[in-house]
Amino acid sequence: MEEKREVVIRIENLEKQFGGRKVLEGISLDVYKSETLVIVGGSGCGKSTLLRHIIGQLKPDAGKVYLFGKDITKANEDEMDSIKKRFGMLFQSAALFDSLTVEENIALPMREHTKLDDHIIKIMVKMKLNQVGLRGFGHLNTSQLSGGMKKRVGLARAIALDPEIIFYDEPSAGLDPVVTAVVDKLILDLSSALSITSVVVTHDMNSVFRIADRIVMLYKGKILQIGTKEEIKNSKNEYIQQFINGTIEGPMQFFAPDEGYLEELTK
Amino acid sequence: MVVKEKKVGDAVVLVVDGEINFNSSPDFRKAFLKVLEEKAQKVVVNLSSVAYVDSSGLATLVEAHQKVKSSGGKLKLTNLSAKVKSLFEITKLEKLFDIQPTEDEAVKSF
Repeated sequence: MEEKREVVIRIENLEKQFGGRKVLEGISLDVYKSETLVIVGGSGCGKSTLLRHIIGQLKPDAGKVYLFGKDITKANEDEMDSIKKRFGMLFQSAALFDSLTVEENIALPMREHTKLDDHIIKIMVKMKLNQVGLRGFGHLNTSQLSGGMKKRVGLARAIALDPEIIFYDEPSAGLDPVVTAVVDKLILDLSSALSITSVVVTHDMNSVFRIADRIVMLYKGKILQIGTKEEIKNSKNEYIQQFINGTIEGPMQFFAPDEGYLEELTK
Repeated sequence: MVVKEKKVGDAVVLVVDGEINFNSSPDFRKAFLKVLEEKAQKVVVNLSSVAYVDSSGLATLVEAHQKVKSSGGKLKLTNLSAKVKSLFEITKLEKLFDIQPTEDEAVKSF
């Protein structure tokens, strides 16, 4: 008998358009507790827009987003604040405050959202830094850090309040392959050690096949397929094969056809 | 979360009931600091009714360890559930603390 898994995020028929252009067209998806779900797709496929709906930054034109059973499309500010404390976010740019030290950046959510004593916060910051392998770097200014270190500090800040879910927006953007592998290992370690649910948006297929429990392939605002690594690798869908193999030839068109070019030039 | 204090011989035992989390760890800290103000040298924290300790709870226990040690005393933890014990292992704190299986053994081990 199949084990019933706890759903922590439920998306139902999500639709969104910007300036008449449909960006999300009826997305429905469940995310289970403790899994690492990776949302994949090319630029402009709607994956970042989907993520922004899940974290409540955007309101949909239609559809629902449930986080921990609560429909956040209808949540008021107070309800959203208490939900936000239960998830962490690693932004593409790491979004650190350059005027603050590493320690101060990680302590920020603790100072804002808890009544913990400063001495306790300092101990917690050391624990978080150790979890991302940056013990001893707390006193540095964030402007002194490499891109990979900034991402790890961003991750330490994302786990500051012991979140149940972490959202990652393009975690490997701007990182070399080795540092990408380090960040991927941290994502895996955090989810296995602390049973954190991870939702990762990326187009880096090496990362995807390292970290995903399940993969969601998006194309033009629709889900092409949801499956395990093996199911996606062996997919018969031509779009998916073109994307994971990174080939120009295939159903995804990147160049306008030649027909009509000369007419257009001389019109 | 509720913290009850009792004396067993010359040791002070704090029996914690409930989760030690972001909301409750300041109260646990208050109870602990009170015991230290009373110059207790042998302190046991019984976690038998604690289902979960978050990172603020772990940090509060680390601080308690520091403070007892700097005043020349000793701190023992007892009755950790399998889940709480695994939290200590994941965060590599199990080597910092003297963890005893039962309250009785903890009191006798000073």
